[in-house]
Amino acid sequence: MIRNRTAAFLGLVVLGSAACKEVSPTGVDQTLLPDEPVTVEVRLPWSEWGSNLAVFGGFGTTDELGLGIVAHAYGDSLEAHTLLTLQNVPTSATVRDTTGTQRTDTLLQVLGGRIIAVVDTVGSAADGPVSLEIGMFGQTWDPPTATWDLAVDSLGHEEPWEEPGAGPVFNAVTTVWERSQGDSAVFQLDSAQVAAWSDTTSANQGTRLVALTGGVRLQVRNVLLQVDARPSSNPDTTVVLVANRLQMTFVYTPSAPAPDDELRAGGTPSWRSVFDVTVPQSLSEPKLCAAVTCPLELTAQRVNYASLVLRTRRTTPSFAPTDTVNLDVRPVFDRSTLPKSPLGTSLLTTSIGKRFAADLFTDEADSEIEIPITQFVRSLLSPDTTAALPPPHTLALLSTFEPVSIAFASFYGPATLDAPVLKLVITAGRSVELP
Amino acid sequence: MTRRPWFVALLALAALPAAASAQSLLNAAGLGVPADPIDARSRALGGVGIGLQGAALLASDPAAAVGFALPTVVITAQPSWVDVQPADAAVVSTFQGTRFPSMGIAYPTPKLGVVTLSFESVFDQRYEAQRPVTVDLVNGPVDATDHFTSNGGVSQVRLGVARRVGNRASVGISAARYTGSVVRRLVRDFVIPAGQEPVEPYQAGGLWTYSGASLTGGVYANIGSFGHVAGSLTWSSGLEASPSSDTEGAAQSFDIPLQLRVGGTAVLAPGLSLSAGLTRADWSGIDGQLTQGTSVGTTTSYGVGLELSRASIFGRQAPLRFGYRKSDLPFVLNQGTPTESVWAGGLGLHLSRSGDFVRAALDLALEKGTREDAVLSESFWRGTISVRVSGF
Repeated sequence: MIRNRTAAFLGLVVLGSAACKEVSPTGVDQTLLPDEPVTVEVRLPWSEWGSNLAVFGGFGTTDELGLGIVAHAYGDSLEAHTLLTLQNVPTSATVRDTTGTQRTDTLLQVLGGRIIAVVDTVGSAADGPVSLEIGMFGQTWDPPTATWDLAVDSLGHEEPWEEPGAGPVFNAVTTVWERSQGDSAVFQLDSAQVAAWSDTTSANQGTRLVALTGGVRLQVRNVLLQVDARPSSNPDTTVVLVANRLQMTFVYTPSAPAPDDELRAGGTPSWRSVFDVTVPQSLSEPKLCAAVTCPLELTAQRVNYASLVLRTRRTTPSFAPTDTVNLDVRPVFDRSTLPKSPLGTSLLTTSIGKRFAADLFTDEADSEIEIPITQFVRSLLSPDTTAALPPPHTLALLSTFEPVSIAFASFYGPATLDAPVLKLVITAGRSVELP
Repeated sequence: MTRRPWFVALLALAALPAAASAQSLLNAAGLGVPADPIDARSRALGGVGIGLQGAALLASDPAAAVGFALPTVVITAQPSWVDVQPADAAVVSTFQGTRFPSMGIAYPTPKLGVVTLSFESVFDQRYEAQRPVTVDLVNGPVDATDHFTSNGGVSQVRLGVARRVGNRASVGISAARYTGSVVRRLVRDFVIPAGQEPVEPYQAGGLWTYSGASLTGGVYANIGSFGHVAGSLTWSSGLEASPSSDTEGAAQSFDIPLQLRVGGTAVLAPGLSLSAGLTRADWSGIDGQLTQGTSVGTTTSYGVGLELSRASIFGRQAPLRFGYRKSDLPFVLNQGTPTESVWAGGLGLHLSRSGDFVRAALDLALEKGTREDAVLSESFWRGTISVRVSGF
């Protein structure tokens, strides 16, 4: 018993000793620290780190965007038409009759209706009222492959539109939309027009939405048809029948030509800019050399920060961004298989990429932006020797989401005075020694 | 079966980190502050690790182990609470830590004498320091902080033997191998405003592993009923510090000086004894090997203590002890010779006895002291707890 008590006491002593909170002595005396390392910012011109810039287009299709675009004489004479298909208008409705009983009524009397186009006010460029026209076309078309000139552009089968831009149309109606009145452009239909729009005899019937006002580019989020009808079982009421859109895409002309000396990212289909990165193995920066022996070997531990410094360029007006641009940068695994090489995961810390204001590519062009690539540069300097493959030396600059907008971002290319720069923040010091 | 709780407690203690926790900013000087791996009884008596009555497991007094009649394990823990005040600053900073300066076992054998195996701290090299800096980059100044951490120290694994020579004397000899390591790391952290891209910290530093050997010989002689005297001498090979393969810093070799210790105890009256001890070493040979700072040259440590061995608490024997000690520290951090002086008190508790044998004992010491040089002043409370278990 005595032994047990004693052992318990000993245990308490042990625990008491171990439980003492450790607080290490921290001095602020300079003599307690090794020589102060030096931190400098180095900006390497393109010729010292970059090469083989190539810009590839064609990633994604207009129908993957899930949005429509209408434009007329916008920017460099951009023309864009939104094409869609609508559901059939319901021919019956469940209504409460005069006795209060719910019943399906198939004898509906059409009174009129409307087509509503919902406009993305942020992603659209229009200063005043915009005249819009919506019409029907009967030509067979293929939404995933349709272009300005071709209704069908699938493998081995090309079929041009009767008129470029999905024309001609019939049963066309017009309206005027103005941003200040909301996001809906409403095309009123009388009963005869509703009957025409509800005609289901043509299985290929398509709908085309165009802008008649020049100098505008609208982004269309949705289009639907609403029909007002009077049920026979209760003539005092009106029911609204809705035909939603099934597919929506857009066709446009002219396409943006491939750039000569420019980095480009985004658009629909999307552009990607691909280039090789070679980080120098040593540096002789004067400020560094004043503190350490030069040339200084550049190691991963010495790189605190690395970023691509790009200078924005005014994007060709037809495709100038009107909304925030989200850009991403990813390693390219196999350059030889471009443009189809798989990409690595994003080098950025946020899933939405790096966000840049649209003005940077219009009114505030020629601004400097940075895209951090610290871990990528570090991996080039200290490759993971256990990895099966060497680290990729090629980067792709692209839109975070592809496609997300018809607009794309432009940056000055390597042959310009504002060529991309590799910014490095480097810290170096003498080795830490024993005292 | 009733012995199991002892082992549980001892295993728990043995499992605690042997590396010393930082107890002084003066650890930054040279090889650090000597850890003085002595037990709580020696601490309470102001001892320098030699010349006390009775059995002891001390690196500095190998002959003292001859008094162990039963296999014995001794473990010592040492918490400290320290206030630091630089001479040019009014601000007092406080830190605390616990270290385990020694643990060992003594095993009496019929032929060899008492064989000892111990593990002890030699130099404490743990400390941290920081300085604020401003880095000028293209877009403007950026604040940063340099953090420096030195973590580790020099330890020893020691094997010794002590045996009687005639009726009044005993000798002891021990061989030790230096071990331990130190990690010295400088980290520059950049202060980046929220929302901006992170800047990775800069890190530099390395790991050095210590090696080397030392040999200690000691004698212990009774002087009739008046008391006894003891002396020991420690010789060391060079202390080699070898960097790890990924360490940029260089290897270094340090000369550890010959260390002489003498001490003794005089019995003033039954149950009352006076002990005193002195150590001396010349550290000047290490001067050319230090990349930063110097040694103080010759160091002297001395201490005196008084023990009332017949005191008791709650009917149990509980010797009371008082002492004073003053020591020169071997390395200069700033200016002047750093010294440590302490007033100490303590007691021993015999927790379990079996006839004349103490099966379990606990020694406690509490020291109030100062460490200072021309620039820095540390005042501290230091506790020492030694647990001794025999006959397991």
